[in-house]
Amino acid sequence: MILKILVGIIAGFIFGYTLQRTGITKYPRVTGLLLLKDFKVLKFMLTAVTISMIGFYILSDLGAITLHPKSLDWGKLVGGLVFGAGMGLLGYCPGTMASRIGEGKKDAWIGALGMVLGILFFALNFNFFKSHFLASSINGDLAANLGIHHWILAPIAAIIFIGIIWLANKVDDSRKIF
Amino acid sequence: MNKFFDQNGEWHWFTGGLFVSILAMVTYVLFEALSYKSYPFGITAGYGFVAALFRHLFSSLSVNPVIHKFATVPAAFVEFFMLIGVALGGYTAAKSHKNYAPEVIPAVWEKYHGKNVWKRFLAVIFGGFFLGWGAALGSGCTTGNILQGWAHLSLGSIVAGASFFVTGIITAKLLYPKIGGEK
Repeated sequence: MILKILVGIIAGFIFGYTLQRTGITKYPRVTGLLLLKDFKVLKFMLTAVTISMIGFYILSDLGAITLHPKSLDWGKLVGGLVFGAGMGLLGYCPGTMASRIGEGKKDAWIGALGMVLGILFFALNFNFFKSHFLASSINGDLAANLGIHHWILAPIAAIIFIGIIWLANKVDDSRKIF
Repeated sequence: MNKFFDQNGEWHWFTGGLFVSILAMVTYVLFEALSYKSYPFGITAGYGFVAALFRHLFSSLSVNPVIHKFATVPAAFVEFFMLIGVALGGYTAAKSHKNYAPEVIPAVWEKYHGKNVWKRFLAVIFGGFFLGWGAALGSGCTTGNILQGWAHLSLGSIVAGASFFVTGIITAKLLYPKIGGEK
């Protein structure tokens, strides 16, 4: 119990500290990304994704962890679209919202309340969502689905991610808003 | 070194990304070793844990499968404390670097939509509602589906993460149709 609390708080602290210091929690950042004007959040995310992707596959090959790719169902698409609208309205996502609460941004408390109500709404209508969007699913392992080894797919994905970072960086250097 | 930790007073995006990737890998190994969950860290279940507390007010919620899950899985409990950690981390980072700036409404919002607090709160409560509903249905938020899910090359997360941007971009454009012309 104490261990769980400690691990949670320490991991969260490092995450929140990093998000704030990197400037990810600033309101103009996420909104700026969605307006395609400021790509720092995208560059930050894809850097983390690329490095941890390589790390996860190495750890998994060593037997240190078991990967659990998320399966594909209609909930991912519909839920993702609903989530995106929320992110646009708020100007931040659930993680940065928690950091913003710590930073004294009062509206983030209301956002957190909304988020809890949204989860309750999903829970109360779970049977509807389950039968309409979660009834069938496709295995989430992309490499397995494509029938190629993950060490062939991972470098391809890394090249795509780094390419996007490179492009985004060129655009960012040339203009600034807010 | 300065370049990595001081970009107009902020860390470089690479520094932030590197730190988060290390955190993601360490927590994955740690959580699996401690058998909290078989998936790396996320944020949504922490809010789910709070939502599940309503079962104490409305006992009929206890039998709800979603509430039952958030009330019982160790991951939701850990993620709730992770949320507290994130808030403490954000507070500490802001305070220690003299950019702790409390506000009720973000400055950019105020510039384009006025000082009316209720207007912002209305947008925010609906925004939060959509975040919670969408993350619960899509089994993950930006942290779970992009930072972690994309790193696993999960088909479900790639679709979810990409769809965040579809409606996110549309909503942001509707909110700020005029941004872009000025400096």
